[in-house]
Amino acid sequence: MKEKTFIKTRNVILTGVGGQGNVMASRTLAHMLVDAGYVVTIGETFGMSQRGGSVMSHLRISHDSVKSPQIPRGGADVIVGLEPLEALRVLTVYGNPQVCVLYNSRPVYPIGVITGELSYPSGETIRDAFERLSAACWEIDATSVGLRLGNPVLSNIVMIGALSKTGLLPFDRRRFEKEIKKTLSAGKYKVNLKAFDAGADMIK
Amino acid sequence: MSKLLSPDRSTVLFLGNEAIARGALEAGIEVATGYPGTPSSEVIESLAGVARERNLYVEWSVIEKVALEVAAAASFAGLRSMAVMKQNGVNVASDFLLHLTASGTRGGVVLVSCEDPGALSSVNEGESRYFASMMEMPLLEPTDFQDAKDITKWAFELSEAIGNVVMLRSVTRMSHASGNVTCGKLPTKRRNAAFEYDGPVMDSQTGPMISTPVMAKHLLRQQKLKDVQRMFDNSPFNRYTGPAKPDLLIITSSACFLYSCEAVEMLGLQKRVGILKLATTWPLPPNLLEKYLRKAKTILIVEEVMAFLEENVKVLASGIAGRVGVKTFFGKYNGALPFAGELNPDIVADALGKILKVKRKSLPADYQTDVQKTAALIPVREQTFCAGCPHRASFWNIHNAIALDGRKGFVCGDIGCYSMAALSPATGYHTMPTLHSMGSGTGLASGFAQLSRFGLDKPILAVCGDSTFYHAVIPALINAQHNRADITFIVLDNAGTAMTGFQPHPGLAVSALKDVVPAVDIAAICKAIGAKVAVSDPFDLASTSRILTSFLADKGSLKVLILRQACALSPEKKGKKAFDVKVDESLCIGEACGCNRLCTRIFRCPALTWDRDTKKAVVDEVICAGCGVCASICPQQAIVKTEVSAPG
Amino acid sequence: MIKKPGSQTELKKNVLEQSLCTGCGACVGLCPYQVFYADRTVQLFDCDLPEGKCWAFCPRTPADYDHIKKSLFNMDDLTPEIGAVKGYYFSRAFDPRLRVNVQHGGTVTALLELAMGEGMIDSAVVSSRNEEFEQHGLLVTDQNQLRGYSKSWFTVSPTVAAFNRIPDDRKKRAGVVATPCQATALAKMKTAEIPGYNGSDLPGLVIGLFCGWTLSMEKFYNLLGRYGLSITDLTGMDIPAGKNILELFTAGGLISVPMAEVDHCVRTACRYCMDSTAEFADLSVGAARFGKDCEEMRGWNQIIVRSDRGKHLFELAVAKHVLQIREAPPSALLELKNAAVEKKKKALKNIVEKSHSTKNLLYLKSDDPVVRKYLGVEKKRKGKL
Ligand SMILES: Cc1cc2nc3c(=O)[nH]c(=O)nc-3n(C[C@H](O)[C@H](O)[C@H](O)COP(=O)(O)OP(=O)(O)OC[C@H]3O[C@@H](n4cnc5c(N)ncnc54)[C@H](O)[C@@H]3O)c2cc1C
Ligand code: SF4
Ligand code: SF4
Ligand code: SF4
Ligand code: SF4
Repeated sequence: MKEKTFIKTRNVILTGVGGQGNVMASRTLAHMLVDAGYVVTIGETFGMSQRGGSVMSHLRISHDSVKSPQIPRGGADVIVGLEPLEALRVLTVYGNPQVCVLYNSRPVYPIGVITGELSYPSGETIRDAFERLSAACWEIDATSVGLRLGNPVLSNIVMIGALSKTGLLPFDRRRFEKEIKKTLSAGKYKVNLKAFDAGADMIK
Repeated sequence: MSKLLSPDRSTVLFLGNEAIARGALEAGIEVATGYPGTPSSEVIESLAGVARERNLYVEWSVIEKVALEVAAAASFAGLRSMAVMKQNGVNVASDFLLHLTASGTRGGVVLVSCEDPGALSSVNEGESRYFASMMEMPLLEPTDFQDAKDITKWAFELSEAIGNVVMLRSVTRMSHASGNVTCGKLPTKRRNAAFEYDGPVMDSQTGPMISTPVMAKHLLRQQKLKDVQRMFDNSPFNRYTGPAKPDLLIITSSACFLYSCEAVEMLGLQKRVGILKLATTWPLPPNLLEKYLRKAKTILIVEEVMAFLEENVKVLASGIAGRVGVKTFFGKYNGALPFAGELNPDIVADALGKILKVKRKSLPADYQTDVQKTAALIPVREQTFCAGCPHRASFWNIHNAIALDGRKGFVCGDIGCYSMAALSPATGYHTMPTLHSMGSGTGLASGFAQLSRFGLDKPILAVCGDSTFYHAVIPALINAQHNRADITFIVLDNAGTAMTGFQPHPGLAVSALKDVVPAVDIAAICKAIGAKVAVSDPFDLASTSRILTSFLADKGSLKVLILRQACALSPEKKGKKAFDVKVDESLCIGEACGCNRLCTRIFRCPALTWDRDTKKAVVDEVICAGCGVCASICPQQAIVKTEVSAPG
Repeated sequence: MIKKPGSQTELKKNVLEQSLCTGCGACVGLCPYQVFYADRTVQLFDCDLPEGKCWAFCPRTPADYDHIKKSLFNMDDLTPEIGAVKGYYFSRAFDPRLRVNVQHGGTVTALLELAMGEGMIDSAVVSSRNEEFEQHGLLVTDQNQLRGYSKSWFTVSPTVAAFNRIPDDRKKRAGVVATPCQATALAKMKTAEIPGYNGSDLPGLVIGLFCGWTLSMEKFYNLLGRYGLSITDLTGMDIPAGKNILELFTAGGLISVPMAEVDHCVRTACRYCMDSTAEFADLSVGAARFGKDCEEMRGWNQIIVRSDRGKHLFELAVAKHVLQIREAPPSALLELKNAAVEKKKKALKNIVEKSHSTKNLLYLKSDDPVVRKYLGVEKKRKGKL
């Protein structure tokens, strides 16, 4: 598939729960885009704990200039959610009628839900909300694919693969290959590429 | 090849902290030191990664003050060096800093402070900019990633030009953000270390490095600052963008510059608003400011947390009011911007919109309503200990020991992931009512323990992490022992500085450069101080609880329990489960009297979830770290763990 | 009957915080929340269930005790003073070797051995001590080991907790040696109406101990301290009839402590206890005493046979020459009843003092016939004064 181009700045938010490989995914994505000649700014937000809290990366992809590492309210073009609830949370702050959403369907329950004090919206409620509040949305079960490939954390790469197929951002398999060749060992390289392909195959 | 050593003129995506590290490399730094603290750690980490190749000395020092001292020694010997810390680290280093700015320096030395407006990963919103004015040293604040690299490089030249230390300040949104950086040349020459001290007292290059004679040296330092002002007036890092006669002038620095640009763009005010970006924020460049203050009557100062810039600009403006006219200032003092928390483009745009009476384009009303309704369905995600975290087990033990003791004892907290125990209900067994600076838990405990004579008859506990122990606990512990404080002090030893990314500390036999070094044993130190010392694995609930309850019952002395278990995310554990853990549905009694969901309602490991349909507990294999602790709390033995055999 | 459901929170509010907790252990070992530590019942975590076994089994939560008694014993055997009586005797173990190391006559230990030997029960919960002399219930499954756990210690043993820990299907095959509060808790377990729970035949056998009070460990240790003793110095303790002293046996000889000094070491909860003979047990055993000739009876017990099961065991014990029996003179029974009535009246007086009302009797019902009887007497007397 050919790399698409766009005119104005693209604002992408990658979100998930600590431990899901959010930071690795956003940096991989950003590196590919810098390689392709874009000016990329990433802002990362993660809390005190390394795991368990909401994690969010703001990617600003521009032709020419550095942007604020925080995207303004209502300013996201693309939301990639490694976890459905977090994707929805981001949508309610940064969403707008033109936003496109790709999210992983596998929930990670917040502690308040585990204890029973809070409740987690059903898969259907979440799906409905995305359909109403976005211009386009894709739901995939990336975690299961990761598990099948031997490590659930690969779901982040599955998501990147799926993202490439949506055509929302200017990168493709070739760029991904080139990028991970630089950063990963041979063994990891193979399984990451598999994860990428599996993700791409999930987008029709 | 490391990304940090990318060739001249290549454009790479750098984290702000990497850009600072690259700048230092381009400046030819020889020595880099630091104490880990978010958001500063990656500077030292990335330099450590290239230390061998670039022939640098990089160390994780025990405490920020020592980090600065080690860096200063290099400077005294003519080398270029840098000490890196987070905002409150500067407070810790400040006593030495006061004397360092008085003695002056030789080789370029830069103090890097990475600060955390909004306390995203801190328990304070400390400001170190005031140290610059207090200690009379230049302050530089990069506004983007390229700036971060270039200004860092320049900071070393500046330091050498004035013979004093220069402070470089970054913030979370700079340090932990990434952007394109075009690299410059890496130097090929190296300096030799030589320390001369036999020359005349006032000779900055050959005399002794001391702060006396105090007056003479103080005057010298102030005179140098005049040179600094001239350099700042002409600095290419300070820039104005906007119309020739703006309706409003924004004066800003650091990441706030990017927020300001974005805000102006969002409101479409490019023709009405000018932005003066200052990278040199102390001392202020007087001529530059005069030039731009003349341009507008209305000034908005955009900065985070305290009004450091605003105060200094106002002082300067009042001094030249006759020439530039009277201004209307907007900023913190008139309430346009908050004194607490970090800023973002929205906050700046809102402030700007109010001042200039322009409205932002808003989303369709029905979309907004729907968003609000949807947002109400989203449960908060509170911070909690990770699955398999040793702190969960430790605080379980601590909570139970305190409950058994029955005198309502409490734990004085300290700084680390375990600070989260102060958050309720994230952990569910809230036992930490005090939380201050590193080492303060033990100091406070030492004080509380003296209050039994005034009626505070409770067992006093304190916790600290292994890294914190070396940092600032030891004096407090000696104080406790020497003054007969009855405290139970618990070291949560998770084998590294986990919170900030597993930097080594003196307890480990490895240095920042991965060299084998002597490990300093916590237990041996505590024994030498004279405490009763025990060591336990917090995952072994039974024996840990036995030791803790006996410590609480053993009145009148200092007791130390070292709870040793590596962090769930530590490099040696990561990904590897010790146990496969499952819930046997036929044994789980769930909500029934006899259990009432102990595991999910009270213990709260994020990997143990509650199936509302089957009314049974479930282990989420994706999240479970396989620590096996939950198996020892289940009253029904419904949680079954099987050892994972090591492959091969 | 009154069915007043209750939660762990109410247990805390109405029992623990009211100093009514006897330390019987009935609420312990049922779940992870309630534990016993250093002479206290401790709630480790809050449990938010609206109804629970902890509340249902506790002998100090309100219940229709009259109804429970009537459902467990033959109506005709019931006496207001000491509960059901099918028979009343003096007894001691036949085996002199057994009698060497027992509290009085070794009746309790002998009966347990027999019940186990005959297969009536296959295990027994007795009281054991750790190195610090803290007592706890212990499940003994080997008949030959029972003699290792004889003798009385007058600090609390949360014995029922050990019973709670026995797997449900084996509970009815277990015997328990129980003080009156513990026997009450076990009776509440037999009669509790909780959905999905059936306790009708638990446990297999309850041998009750007569009990005047238990001691607070902390206060008792302080008392010992004043005599230059530590708990580990003790080899035994007893309260000989009619002497108004507590006897402490040590390697260095006998030490007598005047009752006045012991009195303020008594657990607060015991001051509100009406039962001195373990009225809810199958058989109840105490020290034999009557008239002035106490010393002669020192090696003997008095025993009340209460239930059919108790009667069966007692008769077997006599037939098999496990127990040696002496007919007790009627004056002895009268003496026992008088002492029992004294305790009841005192408890009711203390309860009224605490609640400031004759209507609110804490865990007791004001229309319970036994309560009415002794509360009434109290009132009349007061009226006369
Ligand atoms: C706290 C307490 C107070 C007592 N008060 C009186 C009284 O006021 N008047 C009276 O006549 N008798 C009283 N007794 C009963 C008396 O001390 C003897 O236990 C009883 O006479 C049986 O004697 P024995 O020789 O058959 O006992 P043994 O055969 O020696 O057996 C004694 C049994 O009691 C158990 N036991 C020991 N201590 C405790 C405890 N704290 N809680 C529960 N079980 C225990 C042992 O495990 C053993 O099974 C009291 C007993 C206790 C434990
Ligand atoms: S603690 Fe055990 S019995 Fe209770 S809910 Fe969890 S798995 Fe089930
Ligand atoms: S073994 Fe249990 S406590 Fe440990 S991580 Fe897994 S679910 Fe959590
Ligand atoms: S209600 Fe049941 S589960 Fe809760 S504390 Fe009481 S006995 Fe335990
Ligand atoms: S009296 Fe017994 S059941 Fe009641 S609270 Fe105390 S130990 Fe628990």
